Amino acid sequence: MASHERSLTQIKFNREGDLLFSCSKDHVINVWYSHNGERLGTYEGNNGTVWTVDVDSESRFMVSGAADNTLRLWDVETGKCLFIWEFPTAVKRVAFKEDDSQVVCITEQRMGFQCAIRVFNINRDGDGTNRAPDLFFFVAIYLLTRPRTESREPLYMFNPIGSKATVCAFTPTPNVIITGHESGKVALFNVKSGDEVNNNERAHSDVVTDLQMSKDGTYCVTSSKDKAARIHDTKNLMVIKTYTTETPLNSASIMPGRPYILLGGGQEAMNVTTTSLRQGKFETRFWHKVLEEEVGRVKGHFGPINTIAVHPAGTCYASGGEDGFIRVHHFDESYFRAKPYGDLEIAD
Amino acid sequence: DDAAEESNVSAELIALRKRLVDEWNAWRALSRREGPEERGKSGKARESEEDKEEIE
Repeated sequence: MASHERSLTQIKFNREGDLLFSCSKDHVINVWYSHNGERLGTYEGNNGTVWTVDVDSESRFMVSGAADNTLRLWDVETGKCLFIWEFPTAVKRVAFKEDDSQVVCITEQRMGFQCAIRVFNINRDGDGTNRAPDLFFFVAIYLLTRPRTESREPLYMFNPIGSKATVCAFTPTPNVIITGHESGKVALFNVKSGDEVNNNERAHSDVVTDLQMSKDGTYCVTSSKDKAARIHDTKNLMVIKTYTTETPLNSASIMPGRPYILLGGGQEAMNVTTTSLRQGKFETRFWHKVLEEEVGRVKGHFGPINTIAVHPAGTCYASGGEDGFIRVHHFDESYFRAKPYGDLEIAD
Repeated sequence: DDAAEESNVSAELIALRKRLVDEWNAWRALSRREGPEERGKSGKARESEEDKEEIE
């Protein structure tokens, strides 16, 4: 589907998978129906590349981080920007906590400012759960009618030691996030204390470009410019699997229900022959998650693949390219019947 | 097709794949057992934190 005027930076499905959020260097965030590629709406107001986006589990709030040094909270349905946090440098990565109560964000290291990781509480009032209506009726009316307030100050903030962080996500362990770094390091940080709880300095030998969690958060996949993707145990950072390709990788995603890891990347435009640019030869690579063997490729993009997301039910996936296109690929029947490498039952 | 392909694959390779899948499944079972406990704790920690903030 034709989508953005400039290259895609991140795409994300909501929990049901019916909506796909995309952000780009063209300053705009879009939301699409994943089944037909129709654009449902846009979120406008950023004054720079939007680097990162995430949506909560209710598809109620969306957060974005951009080169205009802002973290923004959006109302998914109305497209209204509800709150803006401003920082000294660009916001490179955002992620919701699984219970939607917090957001973690990474700001860029630049011009005398260190890379910083901040955690914000997200005000979810209006939910009304477990509040006695008679007692809190007037409070509820007040909360519903006043302008939205978020805490301007982060709940936690720290500067990760050593190499700057490029990607992050909450883990199932309370107050612990997992991060990928410019040096190739993967680490666990306690957000309360800012302490590095554990690290794997040699997880990758070049920039970690993406980090996506498994459904239950017990493992994650990282991709790197070092041409490899790896699965890590999010509790002890043990490397469980490695997928070695011949191209720098920008994104890696876990396919639920099927034993695949999806990888995307490609050489920068200057290194690419004009033929491959013309033919849309940039491919999403399917790797067998357990056997660490490549099982197939899907062509389509006219430039490197910057971001991949898989539908939470595993029925389709989407890729966003340097070419400004988002491609949504729906799997057919034969895909679900296929049992590469026999009848072995593989746990998700 | 699958059967034809399978017959070309050596017994050694099949054994290797089986071992890899068994190892994977064992690791998944282990992290699942440890998983829910952790999440239970995180739920409690979260509630008590929120309570504190509301009081403030």
